[in-house]
Order: sequence, then C-alpha cells, then structure tokens
Amino acid sequence: MSELLGVWLGAFLTLCIFSFLYKDNPFFRFAESLFAGVSLGYYIGIVSTNTLVPNMIRPLTADFSGNAHLLIPLLLGLNLYTRYIPRIAWMARLSLAVYIAYYVGIFMVQKLQGEVVPQVGKTILHPIGGNFTPVDNLIMMVGVLSVLIYFYFSIEHKRAVGVVSRVGIWFLMLGFGAAFGYTVMGRISLLIGRMNYLFIDVVQITSQYL
Amino acid sequence: MNLERLVQVDRRIVYLLIALGTLIPILKPIGFAVSTTPPVENFFAKVESLGGDDAVLVSFDYGPTTAPECDPMAEAVLRHCFTRGIKVVVVALFPLGGVTMAGEALEKIVPQYPDLVEGEDYVFLGYKDGAQATMKQMGVAFSGVFPSDQEGTPLDELPLMTQVLNYANIALVVSIATNVIGEWWANLVNAQFGTPVAVGCTAVSAPKYYAFLDSGQMLGLLGGLKGASEYEQLLIDRYPALEPIYSKAGEYNAMKGMDAQTVDHAIIMLFILYGNGVYFLIRRREKREARLEQ
Repeated sequence: MSELLGVWLGAFLTLCIFSFLYKDNPFFRFAESLFAGVSLGYYIGIVSTNTLVPNMIRPLTADFSGNAHLLIPLLLGLNLYTRYIPRIAWMARLSLAVYIAYYVGIFMVQKLQGEVVPQVGKTILHPIGGNFTPVDNLIMMVGVLSVLIYFYFSIEHKRAVGVVSRVGIWFLMLGFGAAFGYTVMGRISLLIGRMNYLFIDVVQITSQYL
Repeated sequence: MNLERLVQVDRRIVYLLIALGTLIPILKPIGFAVSTTPPVENFFAKVESLGGDDAVLVSFDYGPTTAPECDPMAEAVLRHCFTRGIKVVVVALFPLGGVTMAGEALEKIVPQYPDLVEGEDYVFLGYKDGAQATMKQMGVAFSGVFPSDQEGTPLDELPLMTQVLNYANIALVVSIATNVIGEWWANLVNAQFGTPVAVGCTAVSAPKYYAFLDSGQMLGLLGGLKGASEYEQLLIDRYPALEPIYSKAGEYNAMKGMDAQTVDHAIIMLFILYGNGVYFLIRRREKREARLEQ
C-alpha cells in the first residue's frame, strides 16, 4: 500500500511542478520547497550513514587508540561551527584554511596535469598526421587559432585580424549550437522520464492494487 | 496577412505539442532505427574485450534528477558486464541520490542473473563524501576509504575485494555522471593512475566531455539518451538473448525514449523554421515598405 501511496504522491508532486508551465502558483512553490528540504535532509542522512559512521564513529569506538588520528578531521570539522560563536568565530578559519589548501593542492595538479597539458598537447597537431584526417586537423587548427584571435583584445579587430576573429565567432556559434542541441536533448529526456512515470509507472502500479 | 500575429504563438501551444509529441511515442512506441557512433562503439568494445578475470569499477555519479538519461546507461553497462562475467565494483560519489540510484539499479539487474554471488561477482561499496579525495584514496587502497560495503560487511570479508585492492586491479572505470564528476575520473584518475576511463554523461554535459574524449583521456563516451540508446542497440546486436528485456511493454529504456526524443526534436525544428520564416517575411515586408516610402 505504501508503494501505491508513494507513486501517487510522486505523481501529485510532478503535476505541482508542471503547473508552473501555466503560471506561478502555491502548488509549484510547495513542491519546490519540499524538494529543497528533502534534498537537504537526504544529504545529511546519507553523509552520516555512509561517511561519518563507517569512517569515523565505528573505527573510533572499535579501537580508539589505533584510530586516534581520526580525531584531527573530527576536531577540524567541529571547529567549523565556532563561527556561530562571535567571540571565537575566527577559529573556524583555521579549519577552512586546511580544507581550502587541501582542495587547492588537489585541483592544481588535477587541472594542469589532467586537463591543460594533455588537451593543449592534443590541439597541437601535425597538419596531415595523427589520429584525425588532414581535413579534421585543418578545421581544428583554424578553429583554435581563430577563436584565440577573437579573445585577443590587445590588437584592434580590423582588417586581417578582424576577418580571422569573425571566423572565430562562427566557430564559437557552432560550439554554442551543439551545446544548445544537447541541452534540448537533456531537457526533453527529463520530460520523457516524467511522462513515462505518470502514464506508465503510475498506471502499472495502481492496476496491481485494483 | 497580419504577420505580427503569426509570431505571437502562445507558448502553451508549444508546451501542448511537445507534451503530445512525448506522450504518444511513449504509449505507442515507433521503433526508430538507432545508428551507432565511434565514441559508443569504443566504449562497448572495451567492455567486450574484458572477461571473468577483470574487474570494472562502476561509479554512480548522478541522482534522480537525471535518472531518465543515466539509468539506461547504468543498466546497460551492468548488464553487459554481468553477461560477460566481468567482476563489478559499484560505488557512488554523487551526494544527492547516487547511492540510491546504484542500489535501485542493482536491485533491478542482479535478479536477471541468478548465478551472481554478492561479494564474489560484484560488490556495492556505497557512497563516500568528498569525490576527489575519495578518488585519490581509492588509488592507494579501496579499504582506506571504504572500510566496509553498503551493508556494513568489512572489505577483507568480501572475496572480490581481497583481489581488487586499488586501481591497479581495475581494468576500466565507468562513470555514469551528471555535471563534473565524470571529468574528475578523467583528469584525476586517468591522468594520475593511468586507469582507462569511460563516461556516460547527461546530454547537457556532453559537449565538454568530448574534449576529454578527443584528447584520449576517455576511451568512450555515452552522450545523453542518444548515447544510451546506442549502447543498448550494440548490446542487443551482440547478445540477442537480451532483446526481450528491451522490448518488454511498459519497461522504460533509452531506445524507447529516443522515439519521443526524435518526435520532439522534429516539433522544435519545425517551430524554429516557422519562427525564422515569419521573421524573414516581416523583414522583407519592412524593406519593401521602406523602398515605397523613398
């Protein structure tokens, strides 16, 4: 019975969200607020049961001295909440500093080694060799160079530079067009999912109980 | 003819047509042919090259908000792995629903393979917070970040995880991703550990992922529902025994979704042509009126 109630509640909330297509209304705002609240509650629950308990609480209760190093992240985490006590609010910055430094360290290497270097490397192509056909290589070279010229603002975009920069705009437009096409596909997919839920899943599950 | 009125189509008419264009193919599937593309074929070929001695890490990096696109990818990849007897390690790194999506996918797919033994043929390690930190730590040891599986069984009690210690024992990472987590598998795990990575991503993210694909940091890519439908088609072509699962009435999959997708795209393109056509007619009329005034 709870399954039946669940699918009908889902159907009602889906229709509440769809009602925005007509105009803004209290049903839409109720469903939107509920979604935000449920998401936050879910996140807190999932982090507690999947990270805090198995990676922190369970090891500390099982073998405190062997896992004493876990107290460092625990204290850093608790220290974040000192920002709510005005007199010692500055202490929260210490935890933030560690957190930010850790992720800056990870990100710097990740972005440079894993993104900038390999992708720039693959953009520097032999005009007639490599993985692609000479035509692909030519398009890639013209595209990259013309877009770079378009974003080079130290020279006035006139005469030859202006022509190349206009070619760059065409490449950018093609890129935006592809991105837009994919975005439409993504949004339509979500609509398909909801329609499928309303007209197939709800009907199938309801018919099981009739 | 009053051209200005032709431009002012009530947006609710567009919504209605899109709703009908979606609903009719769902209720009465058309069965448009699915053509495959190299990014999906390469992904499929990599999984096809693996066998019972290999382990694939499948990361659920999406939530219910993108399930209609990502669920079919995840299910097809899991079916492919289980059909070939490949060992599967399932994790979830997306906070808002990743672990739930993974659990639901396993609940749906595993019963279709009655010989599968949890802990030996597949493991479900659950969700862990801090995606990049988790990815880095898995490169050292899975047990360092996942001390137990989703049900609380310690990793050293799971036969599969005594053989799969870190990325060195993983033949392929598959990330079914929304937003950026799939990128991190490429620019962190592939770059720093050399583990082959293939990604199934939402259509919105796909254009950016192509940069990683072309630079060789990903060996394959499923872009949105279209990519998922291609994978399903390849799976059916290679394993016809799976065909009844995909043709079952009332069962959602990407190939059926692509019917509605195709009809909706046709409607959108017709509206774009209509809008541009009327715009050019108005512009021509304005030019003609300007000439007459001169």
